[in-house]
Amino acid sequence: MKKILLASTLCAVLVYGDAAALLPVEKRTFDQSKYIPDISAILDFSYVNNSVKDDEIAHLELPGVAHGLLGEHSHGDSNHATYNAKNGFNLNYAEVVLSSSVDPFLSMDAVFHFSEHGVEVEEAYFTTTALGHGIRARGGKLNSNFGYLNAQHHHYWDFGDMPLVYEAFLGMHGINELGGQIQWTAPTPFYLMAGFEVLQGTNEQMFGNESVDIEEFSGVEEDKIKGTSAPSLYVGYVKASHDIGDTTIAGGVSYAQGDSMIDHSDDHEGPHVFNGDAKLYGADFVVLHSLDSYSSIKWQSEWLGRELDGIQYNLETFINPNMNKKQSGLYSQLIYTHDKNWKMGVRYDTIYKNDVVANGVNKNMTDDFNKYSAMVEYHTSEFARFRLQYNRNEAMYNEDGNRVDIDTIMLQANISIGAHAAHSF
Amino acid sequence: MNKFLLLFFLPLSLFAHLNIAVSYPYIGALTKTIGGDHIETVVLAKGNWDPHFIIPRPSLISKVRNADALIMNGGQLEIGWLPPLLNRAGNPKIEPNAKTFLNLSHHIELINKPANVDRSGGDIHPDGNPHFHLSPQNILLLANTIKDFLISIDTEHKAVYEKNHSEFLSMWNQKMKLWSEKMASKKGLKVIQFHDNLAYFNNAYGLLNIGTIEPLPGIPPSSKHTIEMIELIKKEQPCCILHDVYHSTKTAEFISQKTGIKVVLMPHDIEALENINDLGSLFDHLTSAIK
Repeated sequence: MKKILLASTLCAVLVYGDAAALLPVEKRTFDQSKYIPDISAILDFSYVNNSVKDDEIAHLELPGVAHGLLGEHSHGDSNHATYNAKNGFNLNYAEVVLSSSVDPFLSMDAVFHFSEHGVEVEEAYFTTTALGHGIRARGGKLNSNFGYLNAQHHHYWDFGDMPLVYEAFLGMHGINELGGQIQWTAPTPFYLMAGFEVLQGTNEQMFGNESVDIEEFSGVEEDKIKGTSAPSLYVGYVKASHDIGDTTIAGGVSYAQGDSMIDHSDDHEGPHVFNGDAKLYGADFVVLHSLDSYSSIKWQSEWLGRELDGIQYNLETFINPNMNKKQSGLYSQLIYTHDKNWKMGVRYDTIYKNDVVANGVNKNMTDDFNKYSAMVEYHTSEFARFRLQYNRNEAMYNEDGNRVDIDTIMLQANISIGAHAAHSF
Repeated sequence: MNKFLLLFFLPLSLFAHLNIAVSYPYIGALTKTIGGDHIETVVLAKGNWDPHFIIPRPSLISKVRNADALIMNGGQLEIGWLPPLLNRAGNPKIEPNAKTFLNLSHHIELINKPANVDRSGGDIHPDGNPHFHLSPQNILLLANTIKDFLISIDTEHKAVYEKNHSEFLSMWNQKMKLWSEKMASKKGLKVIQFHDNLAYFNNAYGLLNIGTIEPLPGIPPSSKHTIEMIELIKKEQPCCILHDVYHSTKTAEFISQKTGIKVVLMPHDIEALENINDLGSLFDHLTSAIK
């Protein structure tokens, strides 16, 4: 009996399966294939040759600004690496992007970052489409619209690495947070947009609100540096743009303010935690002149300045000074797009101000951080580009405080397939 | 209180112009012809540039943000630049599916719809060739579509739109006769193009496109393909290379040197060349270009 039942079920499945395969899509009763969202996959793969060995590069720092900026770092179980971290080959990511309208009122986008170590939800948010009056709201995990570069994905950048000042202040993901965003485009003849964001505030280089456990250092049970409650990061910006003939001029000012908890309690040497307030100022300026349909010159610059004010808890010495840091830097890049195939550009990076004051005493930190980059790109089509980039990094210092200059040659392939939405300006 | 309300609504009724954003100049001209004084058109793309590659400048966001309606070409011609503008505009009136949104390609039968869609075949338009406005017959269909659209969003001025439309119709029908006479002797001529922009124009007047300078749609010329084209031209003896205004004519000039056939610049839209400032002069030029 059982056998008969099994056989008949099997037959039914086969017959049904067969029928489904034979029926054209529009005649399948419960077919939903037309609702498949736009799906795209983007691969970023690079070959890197650094003049400094991987072990050494991971220990270099920007004194007073950022630790372990380059290379690969392990924190317990998790592995953290910047783009193009290692000598030799790097799979920076295989990114999967899904997007679609949800209903007449919303759309949704999700960006998954697959690496060799796992998957990260890079972005996943819904966007309103029906509010009107130039208003758009967004909620979920998102790239803040602070500045110009922050909202753009890595695969759209003109260089394979992040500008020094961005990576030093905010880390390789920039301001990428859980939260809500509201933007308003003004009813003006020229472009004017203002936006405001409320974010969780968990940027490991600058913002944070989670308590840090220091029991293992103080020996006191349940000893903690107390955090604050989330959300604790607020971002606002105003952007404007105007065209003069074939030239577009765009500029913006941005401001971010939040609680800061920078946790370096895992560091082998001088473990410490910074807790206080953080403010970030930004100004961006872009000029794009089109020569024809395919050729253009783009000059893009951003300035970032930040102030950190709070207490640095040194977990070995238990000397906990009041710390005030005022730091600023900028990048400026010039990109020439020759035609559909060729693009080239140069970039200058600097952090020129690094005032670190502990208990009212200026620590006279170095403010000599510079980086120079040049690149040339070949596009086989809009969907594939190969980039050769050279970096001269004169910004990194070793544990003895001596500058270690790094020359890097990078050959990067950025390939995309599927249905990927066009990028905004 | 009532007076206050009146004051509030008065300015709105005084400026009851419909502000219509359109993607390309030809749509703007057609819409303005039918809409007349009751509408304002804002053209997003410039007529002398490649319609596939428009930079989504922020200034264009403001233009669609302030629009009461949007008319686009469709057929994926705007896929690379219009979506990010709509996405940032925060204007439900210009979202697809709004009744103030018009996709013209839905009202035209597109030709050359590919059986297979794969990017190894270049930048294919999956819905067929989207350059349908370059057939004078299609302009009639488009005019009718735009008339119906304007009436549907502004019924009050129905009579005006119908009058403007019928005036345009009789003018265009006369013009079409002239163009047909001019092009009668050209029937059966073989032509080469850079990109198959003129598929509908060629169909309308019986010109035969036998090849394109780009090896595949959207893929820049290669030396191998150029040599093949020279061989083909020597064998098939086409009259000329019909070239768009936005690609470099370098490869075409080279082929012309090797084979002796002419390169003829063919405007694809209003403002593509200096003296082309309306739909009539666009087709006047196109139908006189091949000597």
